[in-house]
Amino acid sequence: MPSYTYHYFDLRGKGETCRLCLAAAGVQFKDHRIDHAAWPGDYKAATPFGQLPYLEIDGKKFAQSGAIASYISREHGLYGTSSLEALAIDGVVGLVADYYSLWAKAYFEADSNKKIDLQLKLNNVDLPNLLGILEKILAGNDSGYYFGNQLTLADLSVYDILENSYRDFSNIYSSYPKVVENRKKVAALPRIAEYLSKRKETEI
Amino acid sequence: MPTYRLHYFDVRGRGEVARLMFNAAGQKFDDVRYTKDTWPDFKPKTPFGQLPVLEVDGKLFGQSGAIFNYLARELGFYGNGNMEALQVDVVMGLVNDFIPLMIKVFFQEQDETKKKELLEKLLNEDATKFFTYFEKVLKENKSSEYFVGKGLTMADIVVYDIVDPLIAHKATIVDPFPLLKANRQKVESNPGIAAYLKSRK
Repeated sequence: MPSYTYHYFDLRGKGETCRLCLAAAGVQFKDHRIDHAAWPGDYKAATPFGQLPYLEIDGKKFAQSGAIASYISREHGLYGTSSLEALAIDGVVGLVADYYSLWAKAYFEADSNKKIDLQLKLNNVDLPNLLGILEKILAGNDSGYYFGNQLTLADLSVYDILENSYRDFSNIYSSYPKVVENRKKVAALPRIAEYLSKRKETEI
Repeated sequence: MPTYRLHYFDVRGRGEVARLMFNAAGQKFDDVRYTKDTWPDFKPKTPFGQLPVLEVDGKLFGQSGAIFNYLARELGFYGNGNMEALQVDVVMGLVNDFIPLMIKVFFQEQDETKKKELLEKLLNEDATKFFTYFEKVLKENKSSEYFVGKGLTMADIVVYDIVDPLIAHKATIVDPFPLLKANRQKVESNPGIAAYLKSRK
């Protein structure tokens, strides 16, 4: 088994899906969390492209959260059982990435009026759009997972992206029962449950 | 081999990388292109209400990234093994970080003065930053002039595709990056791609 060290900020942000993948894979990894005050300095210089996260695999550094999550998923059976299933999984991963961009734009908007508009659109348009698609996918699969009969990167990506809205706008979820069911199913898996029980809470 | 149809608008945008991969592999596919008149009828039939869509033996799949990964797997443009796939995905990620900067300039910014400013920044500061990353990856691959491993992968093709429109605005933009320049020539030397580029309007 290679030695893994994962470097990211001390929050969920763009980096948490990778941590969930590592946890789901049941591999030991060093979860190096970098304090914002200490970044950039030496930490930024140590990254491949001046950004976090990056994963060290036996000392070799690999950046880009999507690349890392895909690598771990391929390596540890979280990518479904066929190329077409992987295509479908990546479709959901792509939707999640699109939603993350919209969320980030709203969250980090400096102009308070613009921010209100963006957050309204996020909650009233973008989130329901995403949840509607996810509910439909789940309706087409008996297992309760997004694809196939077991946990995949799709379930983990969705679990992660919905964390903030599930906490802050829980009312909307009553219209998406299968999404909620899938969320509980993922959280109850032994390795995920263990990881979540030890995870500290962060705002984002 | 399955029957492939690519559904996209009549532009390069987020569909061209798929077209390039099909051509590079010599793989037959239906290049279905929508106009603003024909798109509304197809939209409700798509998985996510968006294009591109890849149709594989009649089944529809959305999201350009997903489609590119699938075609790279099927057509042999994902390198050898999981480590090389990771390296390909790293380059894909860098390109995905760069694309929003291009979209902002070419499609979103309405104010002409601001647009001009952003274009200048894109062609100078942003391009320098990202081309430096690409040059670094190329330098680290000692085994060939490709981004990953010994042959053409999706990494070479996506970088080729996003740099193209920038060259149109600034002909010398790749000149300070010798490995990137050589890599472009490598991509263009693929017979399928060469023929496609010749015929492309």
